[in-house]
Amino acid sequence: MTDVVIRAHDVHKHFRIPSAKRSTVREHFFGIFTPRRFERLDVLAGVSFEIERGETVAIIGRNGCGKSTLLKILAGIYLPNAGSVDVRAGVTPILELGLNFNPQLNARENVYLTGTAMGLTIAKLEAELGQILAFAELERFADLELKHFSSGMCSRLAYAVAFRAVRDVLLLDEIFAVGDAGFTRRCEDRYRELNDAGHTIVLVSHSEATVSDFCKRAILIEQGVIVADGPAKDVSMIYEELLAKSR
Amino acid sequence: MPNPPVSDARQAQRDFFWTLVRTDFKSRYEGTLLGFVWALMKPLFMFFVFYFVFSFIFPKRTYVFNLLIGLLLWDFFSSATKVGVYALSSKAFLLTKALFPRWILVVTSLANPLLTLLVWTITIVVVISIAHSVPPIWAILLFFVYLILLVLIVLGFALASSVLYLKYRDLDQIWDVTLQAGFFLAPIVYDISVLPERYHKLLFLWPLTPVLQFSRQVLIEHTAPTLKAHSLLVALTAAILLIGAVVFHKRAPRAVEQL
Repeated sequence: MTDVVIRAHDVHKHFRIPSAKRSTVREHFFGIFTPRRFERLDVLAGVSFEIERGETVAIIGRNGCGKSTLLKILAGIYLPNAGSVDVRAGVTPILELGLNFNPQLNARENVYLTGTAMGLTIAKLEAELGQILAFAELERFADLELKHFSSGMCSRLAYAVAFRAVRDVLLLDEIFAVGDAGFTRRCEDRYRELNDAGHTIVLVSHSEATVSDFCKRAILIEQGVIVADGPAKDVSMIYEELLAKSR
Repeated sequence: MPNPPVSDARQAQRDFFWTLVRTDFKSRYEGTLLGFVWALMKPLFMFFVFYFVFSFIFPKRTYVFNLLIGLLLWDFFSSATKVGVYALSSKAFLLTKALFPRWILVVTSLANPLLTLLVWTITIVVVISIAHSVPPIWAILLFFVYLILLVLIVLGFALASSVLYLKYRDLDQIWDVTLQAGFFLAPIVYDISVLPERYHKLLFLWPLTPVLQFSRQVLIEHTAPTLKAHSLLVALTAAILLIGAVVFHKRAPRAVEQL
């Protein structure tokens, strides 16, 4: 019996890019008589696939092909304009836009805040706080306010909390893009641990190497549609050809 | 890997709620009790200034209590709706991390002003009991009902403004101006009888006015407003809350796309 956890059916997503951005009431008010033109940017044009429980899937493609948008839709952070996404499991996203914190709170409070937002209880977070801080190599800075953290420290902390909070499905954007070699290796170890424990993992990348190393299956997206879907090795070969052609 | 049991998810959501309340308190008052006490001083300071000036204009003995109640409710209304505007934008870092019910951010943003309101409410009831006369139990209960209605009104404003602010980034300035006008549209520092009767109805549309007048009536004069007056206040509250909830419900799912 197949156990589908994510089913995307004919997902469309476009953004309307205005010729002039209006972000205040004043601009809207005084702009009544100067109509704006909207340029429609189609990012996803009918994407369908199914992902089964325990699969490791890479979504690959060139910059701007829509892969990160797709991941945000799977995470429920963006809504599709048409089509449907059916996710039948708890999802934990680690997206590039989700790496910041409340700068006025210290590391410990930020861990509690984001951890509970991601569905962990305080009791569990208290028990695992040491582990989380150790993962991010920030044990000494538990009581330091985040405004004194570097961006690298913030990212490491974000990864550490999210990796601890993983529910059934993990969504990763540009995996392991932060930290030094040691931190990257800890992320990779944790990744394999989650994979072995039966978690479903979907990651986005534009590098073929990550894809064949970390995933069994890959989906190649080009100009908003799926052009290949299959074993990671085969799909990344197609991707390489595609890159070579466009060079 | 199975989902965590449902009770765990419930507990996590409750923990999230209280962590938001706690961390809001911490970052607002820098974690000190002194910071909180300092915030309590603001309406008190306002009170002394207004009392000094306006007691010459309104020499009635009950003016001092009317002013106290007025400034208490006003302080809550203005500070709570002000933080409400930023309820979502100030928590952008959470919105992009996880999918939780977005209204939690709006409700918890009101916790700090609510705490101030509670402290002042108790103080004022005690002060009125000592310096004026002890209000009957039903009057105090009605006063609390009015406060709850006021909180619901503020919630309606906060739901709408928090999600609209993401699209209209000058909404906070517009609200500041509205509040300055609103301060004089409600009979806070003056007695409503100084205005011609025909304007009273209009004034009562500004939701602070009925809450204010009813509270004064029960606490100071120990008489209850009519059933009709009560129904109108409840209807006004329900309308504001409903509009806020509808706007929020329509816009919140796409909130993150506007960050």
